Amino acid sequence: MLLIELSTQLRRMRSLLLFGALAGIVVIAGVTEASKAGGRGGPATFSALNFTEAGLNFMDPVLFGLVIAMLGSIIGGSDRDWGTLRYLYVRPVSRARLVAGKWWALMVSCVLTVAVFLGVALLTGLVVFGWHPFHRSGSSHLSALAATGAVLEAGGYVIVCLLSVGSIALALGLLLPRSAEALGISLAFLVGSAVLDNVRSLHAIIAVLPVHYWLRWTSLFQGGGGGLALGLAVQAATAAVVMATAYAILARRDPAA
Amino acid sequence: MIDTVAVAAHGLSKSYGRRRAIEGVSFEVERGQICGLLGPNGAGKTTTMRVLVGLSRPDGGTARLLGEPSRLAAEVLARVGVAIDGPAFIPHLSGRRNLELAWRAGSRRWPPPALDASLELAGLGEALDRKVKGYSMGMRQRLMLAQAFMGAPEVLILDEPANGLDPGEVRALRQHLRRLAAGGAAILISSHLLAEIELLATHCVVMNEGAVITAGSLEDLLGAGAYEFDVDDAHRAEQALAAVDGVESVGTHGEQLVVSAPGRTVTELNQALVMAGVGVGAVRSRRSLEEVFLGLVERNNAAD
Repeated sequence: MLLIELSTQLRRMRSLLLFGALAGIVVIAGVTEASKAGGRGGPATFSALNFTEAGLNFMDPVLFGLVIAMLGSIIGGSDRDWGTLRYLYVRPVSRARLVAGKWWALMVSCVLTVAVFLGVALLTGLVVFGWHPFHRSGSSHLSALAATGAVLEAGGYVIVCLLSVGSIALALGLLLPRSAEALGISLAFLVGSAVLDNVRSLHAIIAVLPVHYWLRWTSLFQGGGGGLALGLAVQAATAAVVMATAYAILARRDPAA
Repeated sequence: MIDTVAVAAHGLSKSYGRRRAIEGVSFEVERGQICGLLGPNGAGKTTTMRVLVGLSRPDGGTARLLGEPSRLAAEVLARVGVAIDGPAFIPHLSGRRNLELAWRAGSRRWPPPALDASLELAGLGEALDRKVKGYSMGMRQRLMLAQAFMGAPEVLILDEPANGLDPGEVRALRQHLRRLAAGGAAILISSHLLAEIELLATHCVVMNEGAVITAGSLEDLLGAGAYEFDVDDAHRAEQALAAVDGVESVGTHGEQLVVSAPGRTVTELNQALVMAGVGVGAVRSRRSLEEVFLGLVERNNAAD
């Protein structure tokens, strides 16, 4: 089912445009800042690694989340949108196989999203700003090797973070009549979480929101990695609870409903 | 031993909220039979078909396909060809790619055993490699039929398969279904094209308001050996036919003479009339399925 999902979803024009837009944002940012190379335009212009780290900071959480919410809700709801779900069931494809295939397709989408972004950002940064050690304002530098490791670790952390909001969008796509509704609710959740995250008085609520932990990867560029384990645990728990709930509801629901 | 009953519905009931869709639906379709599932809109035909292939969970009763209980994604469905609720495809992929993905979704190796025959029936030619979003309604319908037939299924559940097909395509479909039935497939087909069902089906199930009102062989339903004659002298014709061996009853219906004579051909009866000096203007060998169907539904509605 994974290969079928990848064939039907990731190779469609909408998905390719989404990845293209993601890459385009990075290239445009690099070209725009090209004249300020060497730190004249701020830390991002010191090196390819600085540019990549700044890019991650810009995209995370809302813009990355938006891309994955789109892909997740489409993967979850497209069979229902097209009417092909009934023909999958009579092939026969079980609900467990269907949900698992879609979740793995979501996982591939998250990896691709981050990989495309990091690849294009590093390449653009290399061309525009050059390969130099990672520069931190008012502090010591990180070697290029250490910074590269931090970029990869941060990328891995962001993938897991995207998987949590992607699972929410996927689950809504599976359960709601149309993927557009799933996308709307997922985006509302994403934006609402980002807004709530700034309201200190709501700490008890914020602590269970996956978005609250998304920017913890920044500590990797400050010589640490504190809080990443908790962040990963919250993302994994969110994805597990959401997908288990979606499957339980689907299993009890009449397929014709 | 192979069970001859391929499709079995026993006491199926299903409600959507407060609305009863079907109630106590029972019938069987054996291998080699082509069974027409007939009924007016809202009679419960599609709900019955959905329950049979596991796309709807019955509130009561049991559905079996090829002897196995039918439920959502039951393994036995791999031996069943289904076309239900109209065609549905991934619009940005070609017809061929759609068929391939649908087949592979069942964890089976491409190509399926009856692909060539199914594609020949679909007759899509080069359009098969074009995106489905550019297909006409008829092309989508033919691709859906190819999808249902490509696995050489032992059972076919077809909901309005002739929708959007031109007369030539309907005829090709009829011939294909007859070949499949002759090869031992059991076919359950719902359609509003009663003339088509009359040409094709060996058996019929008639539903109205969620219940089966009659089921059996088409011959029994239409009344084998029932004829209508337009004659110039009804009294003399009645006397002449009553004297023929095998004539069970002779009566008039409006201006027509209605004769029930199982085992007698229309030629023999016509000959008896001519010998008695009766002029025969026209003869219809039996009642049409349309007449029987409308009569059954009207009587059922009146009884309610």
